[in-house]
Amino acid sequence: MKLHPTPSCTVGPFFPTHYFGAVDNDLTVAHATGGKPAMGQKIYIGGTVFEANRVPRWNGIVEIWQPDASGHFSHPNDPGHKKADPDFMGWGRRATEDDGYYDFITVKPGAYKDPLTGAMRAPHINVSIMSSGLMRRVVTTFFFPGEPLNAGDPVFNAIPDASVRERIVLKPAKMDRAPTDAVAYRLDIVLQGENETPFFLD
Amino acid sequence: MDPTARKLPREFANRFAPYDDRTQPTMQVEGYKETLLRVPKQPPYKRPVTLSEITGPLNLAQKLDADLSDLSRTKEGGRALGQLIWVTGRLLDEDSSPVRGSIIEVWHANAAGRYIHKMDANSPFPEDPNFFGSGRCVTDNDGRYQYLTIKPGAYPVPNHPERWWRPPHIHLSVFGEGFMSRLVTQMFFPGDHLNAQDRILNSVPDRKGRERMIAKAVPMLELPRADVVGFSHDLVVRGHRATPMGL
Repeated sequence: MKLHPTPSCTVGPFFPTHYFGAVDNDLTVAHATGGKPAMGQKIYIGGTVFEANRVPRWNGIVEIWQPDASGHFSHPNDPGHKKADPDFMGWGRRATEDDGYYDFITVKPGAYKDPLTGAMRAPHINVSIMSSGLMRRVVTTFFFPGEPLNAGDPVFNAIPDASVRERIVLKPAKMDRAPTDAVAYRLDIVLQGENETPFFLD
Repeated sequence: MDPTARKLPREFANRFAPYDDRTQPTMQVEGYKETLLRVPKQPPYKRPVTLSEITGPLNLAQKLDADLSDLSRTKEGGRALGQLIWVTGRLLDEDSSPVRGSIIEVWHANAAGRYIHKMDANSPFPEDPNFFGSGRCVTDNDGRYQYLTIKPGAYPVPNHPERWWRPPHIHLSVFGEGFMSRLVTQMFFPGDHLNAQDRILNSVPDRKGRERMIAKAVPMLELPRADVVGFSHDLVVRGHRATPMGL
């Protein structure tokens, strides 16, 4: 029988954060209890989520999903999933702090030839943001600076204006909270207003 | 980069078509002032569906504690105040196939209509030291989930001149099988007169869509125990049954 998806709804006044474990935003650790670290270049991504008028959004729920360092997903829809790093799940979650700050520790995702479109996907991280005031989540994708494959990536180039595309390219930055062995980037997420982050149709 | 050829049938992409807007809430909601400040002004860009969007985390129980399906008691055994309720249902995809082993997160206000959160510090309603307010469960092989809790109270939306009320409702966060099946929604109770004026529930234009957010009563004789009021509520995530490749 054909069913319709249950309607989405706002997270309400807040999403409960006492749910969140210490390593929910550290993708280099696949288990709550720790374990072997994921393979690949460790990276740190931090930034601020803003609502209109550059007001920081607290309790913004930022979730990410990405392939492992060699471009494989730990999911059966990936024909190459058996090669996926068993110590990398690919998912992380972070609630922004009172000042709107979010951060993740992960590994740099690998590029891959997309089995649906045939196009090369540049290294990228899928991002979903939920919050009070958002009846449906908003989704975007982070890309890496200086990647030759960005020029042909079908998602990156779904945004025609180059200056708008730049808003979802991670910026190399010195980040105080980055681990010393991680390459650090900054990227703010602007839900509304000047330099608004481009979002994709979900 | 993986040099080996990988191909998937094109129809995989169609499994995650964009939502039909009629069945989803509007982004702007009259009287819900936060929507004015947080909804992007620019329209979203249409992108192709790639492998990245049709995959998602399947082993979340490795990271998230899913054994929190009794919200009615503290770990020490203190019983929350309010009507004990049992909620069950199935997590399905658009083809009615069960979504197995998937985590469902649950949170709601206490029986008096107050959240355990700093943002509810000015609530006129009392706290309940025995109500933690959130839990988690995981779907079984039939896609079924269940949890025990107390019925949440209604509360007025603060700082709003019309003082509209949120009817009793339970917040649900569902992962499903991929990044595109992620769902956060709310469950409402059948027959509550506040449902008819709730701005959130009524932001879904389609009547049938709204009905999909309202639970059904479970007949008493079908309940697992005598001290609970029962509700059933199926949840449907976007996507069609993907025959898992390589499994």
